[in-house]
Amino acid sequence: MSQVALPQDLDQALAALAAPGARAVAGGTDLMIALARARREGDELPATLVELSRVAELERLEPQGRPPLVGAGVTFRRLAQDPELRRRYPILSQAAATVGSVQVRSTATIGGNVANASPAADGVSALVALEARAVVAGPAGIRRPLVSELITGPYTTSLEPGELITGFELDELEPATGQVFAKVGRRRAVAVSRLNLAVVLDAELADPRLVLGSCFPTPRRLGRAEELLTGGDPGPGLWQAAGRAAAAAFAEASGGRASAVYKVPAIKRVAARALADAWQAVGERS
Amino acid sequence: MELVFWLNGSEARAEEVPGHWSLLELLRDRFGLLGTKQGCGVGECGACSVLLEGQVVNSCLTPAWRAHGRRVTTIEGLAAGGRPHPLQEAFVAAGAVQCGFCTPGMIMAASDLLAHNPDPDQEQVAGALAGNLCRCTGYHDVVRAVRKAARQMVEDGS
Repeated sequence: MSQVALPQDLDQALAALAAPGARAVAGGTDLMIALARARREGDELPATLVELSRVAELERLEPQGRPPLVGAGVTFRRLAQDPELRRRYPILSQAAATVGSVQVRSTATIGGNVANASPAADGVSALVALEARAVVAGPAGIRRPLVSELITGPYTTSLEPGELITGFELDELEPATGQVFAKVGRRRAVAVSRLNLAVVLDAELADPRLVLGSCFPTPRRLGRAEELLTGGDPGPGLWQAAGRAAAAAFAEASGGRASAVYKVPAIKRVAARALADAWQAVGERS
Repeated sequence: MELVFWLNGSEARAEEVPGHWSLLELLRDRFGLLGTKQGCGVGECGACSVLLEGQVVNSCLTPAWRAHGRRVTTIEGLAAGGRPHPLQEAFVAAGAVQCGFCTPGMIMAASDLLAHNPDPDQEQVAGALAGNLCRCTGYHDVVRAVRKAARQMVEDGS
């Protein structure tokens, strides 16, 4: 049986997490399923569950801040609805809006999404495209790894026992960037991504970013497609070439995985369309 | 420590609630509120939907202790003044119920929607109920019932 800790602030949370066998509970939508499975199978439960929902420091949402900050405890529902975030970082609110159902979005948090490190995490692809850094507090103080480095593999991170993600610092982007999040799942809502794509384009195509999720052990930037886009001549030809490069990157990494049969053509088309949409958004925002 | 929360408008107390318990277990096994159903247990079916601080959540995925000091509303708490909630009346009138297992969750999700959007279109209702599965009737009459309830609530000024 697990005990519970109800910290009221970050210091109390870190103190509770320092105890042996303590486990952080963010939204709980992944953890509660794991706990239920452990109970059915008679596996050991965490000694203490540290319920983080009362820690005000984790609830900050400051897209206009310097640096722009998203607290780890912010739910997907808030991310999807916050007007300032939608204006400045539409890619993150779009990704949030595609996560689960209203019920799940009201509960699940962006910090939990990253700490759980599912290869299909929609929030992670958006954060990687924003070159976000995780703010990680722990016994040794604070460190700020890139989200792309914090997540080391499927369901694995470099978080040490006693460490807690408190938030994410986002890249300050030029005002005129086009941002698009696209997703393919089994149904339009409440679907785990079979693939997701996060695209950020600037008006000069100086720093194009293309992230593919649900296709690799962790969401990954597609270097060769990004190189192709950099300084390129914007238009359908360029978007399609980048889509082919994206699909090739997946085909190379996946080997003969069964899902490649539909994922390769799907990536090609979804990437080309997302790039076209992002470029259109550049035009609208500049 | 005693878990204390507001359950359907009244103070509720529970001793010795394990840290790993879900809100669903607390509601059903301690308080006997059996209107909240356990379906899939993984957050896909929505049968366990309740309101936590006015927002619809899957109680099977919500830790029981999250409710400490907070407000929880279940299907048993929707009726007021001796009258069913307009959503409950509309579901009956529209024939939006067959076996009824999914109905409490549907109504809780719809009540969150109508609290934030008094006049949803068909697409918005479908989006708000995307996390609630029905295996009997399909969704046509459910969507109709929610829109009917919305009109009724605007008329009642509630």
